[in-house]
Amino acid sequence: MIVISSFKMDRDIFTIPPKFIFSPTLSNYVGLWQRWGDFFDALLNSLIITSAATVLAVVSSVMAGYAYSRFRHPLLAGSAFFLVFIRLIPPIVITLPLFPAVNTLGLNDTHLLLIILYATFFVSLGTLVMRTFIDQIPRELDEAAHIDGATRSQILRRVIFPLSAQGMVAVAVFVIVFSWNEFLFAFIFTTTQAKTAPLVLAEMYDSVEGVEWGVLFAASTLQLIPVLIFVIAAQKYLVAGLTAGATKG
Amino acid sequence: MTERHSRRGLRKIAPALTLIAPVQLMVGLMIFVPVLFIAWLSLNDSTFGRQTEFVGLRNYAQVLGDPFFWKALWNTVIVVLIVVHLEMLLGLAVALLFASGVPLRPVMLAIVLAPYAVSEITAVVIWRYLFDMDVGIATQAMSAIGLPPLEWAINPMHGLFLIALLSIWLHLPFTFIILYAARLAIPKELYEAARVDGAEPWQNFMRITLPLLVPAILIAMLFRYIFAFRLFSEVWLLTGGGPARQTEVLAVYLYLEAFRYNAFGEAAATGWLMVVASLLLALWYLRSLYKQMFASHA
Repeated sequence: MIVISSFKMDRDIFTIPPKFIFSPTLSNYVGLWQRWGDFFDALLNSLIITSAATVLAVVSSVMAGYAYSRFRHPLLAGSAFFLVFIRLIPPIVITLPLFPAVNTLGLNDTHLLLIILYATFFVSLGTLVMRTFIDQIPRELDEAAHIDGATRSQILRRVIFPLSAQGMVAVAVFVIVFSWNEFLFAFIFTTTQAKTAPLVLAEMYDSVEGVEWGVLFAASTLQLIPVLIFVIAAQKYLVAGLTAGATKG
Repeated sequence: MTERHSRRGLRKIAPALTLIAPVQLMVGLMIFVPVLFIAWLSLNDSTFGRQTEFVGLRNYAQVLGDPFFWKALWNTVIVVLIVVHLEMLLGLAVALLFASGVPLRPVMLAIVLAPYAVSEITAVVIWRYLFDMDVGIATQAMSAIGLPPLEWAINPMHGLFLIALLSIWLHLPFTFIILYAARLAIPKELYEAARVDGAEPWQNFMRITLPLLVPAILIAMLFRYIFAFRLFSEVWLLTGGGPARQTEVLAVYLYLEAFRYNAFGEAAATGWLMVVASLLLALWYLRSLYKQMFASHA
């Protein structure tokens, strides 16, 4: 509906019953380009932040998932418990102390800060999911590689990474969708440089001279479509990841 | 465990500790330390550019004496109760529908999962467009069948109701997937045996499906309680907490205290109350998890 409406003239958007036959127009997209140019910068920011956060979260989750799958020690059990426990804390609570700390470090309004924050909020789930997937890889495989003289990092790269690719995709789906859409942290920690797409959408929605629905729909379409296609393409992994993370963790 | 044993044990798991270091560092530095700091901050009087001063529990007294805090708490409770329970019923219904077979399954699945890809702001745009108080399609449809319009921008209860609707729609994929996966895990043989015994569909549901889904339902509900409790963006974007602060939820209250009124002490007290409430909600889950994780080390 958003998508269809983005190609309508403003006066056609609210007709009742909704018009399905209309002459499509690109004027909303042109208007978006002319009046909200920073939306495209924000899309680029979103892209950078999402990709980097995904890589960071997936790599650190695989490493930790491997450790929890292959080693047993009370200290490890304790730290795994800590990972789950920490996920229960509402994100807004930590914005309060982080805000001055981030300012002092000069990290406010940087890509780096959002990348780390987004990855942080997903490594708990990511680690659980990866552990479930790696548990299914027979230990004999890494033992055999070990006997063949492979080092720990070689085992990780040559045996674990390829065999747990499905799990890595599952984790990546979560981080991508979350980082692409996240509002709260972006709202509090960015002003101009690292502003993400949802934030500009919110500004358009809030703009004083009434909402320009057509332009807003055009922007929403650009923000929504890539990740929508992605989620539909990756739904198999989404289901696998959620079941691994929620029912076993 | 003797000192020597534990040392040797530690050396044995040294590679594991290196491997978990990045994850633990991120979570520790970005979440755990700030939460400890919040606890300290909540006992101090603090705002921009002033020395902090220890005030004991005064911030808590102030927050608990603030009618807006109670309004926000009450709103949060209402929304959480509506959202989690309606969503669970709906998720269960859709999951069972899918399990019993729907035509065009991949397409239907894509439709059910689609909201997962939608950002909160886009969700707000869609729902506001539908429920625009003058010209929205849903508003028109409601008046066509004689229902009064949903005056979400004026009437706080209507506003909260729209927020709840939006939230349910946005998070249904999560609930659905967990219940659907759990339903698919129920062995077919059980239903075949029941059919031989001449069980009715309703008996099937009450005797087989529901009891076996209980663990999944509890897990899904617990997660949804905890996540719905931190509700922020939908409320912020749709009503901003207005009119007259009547639709604030706890997270919005905290945000306004901290970043608009610069009352860091009170905001910290609110934050700490939210942390404690979240952990209390999860107590049962944390306990069973703790037992399970340490079982192999007993």
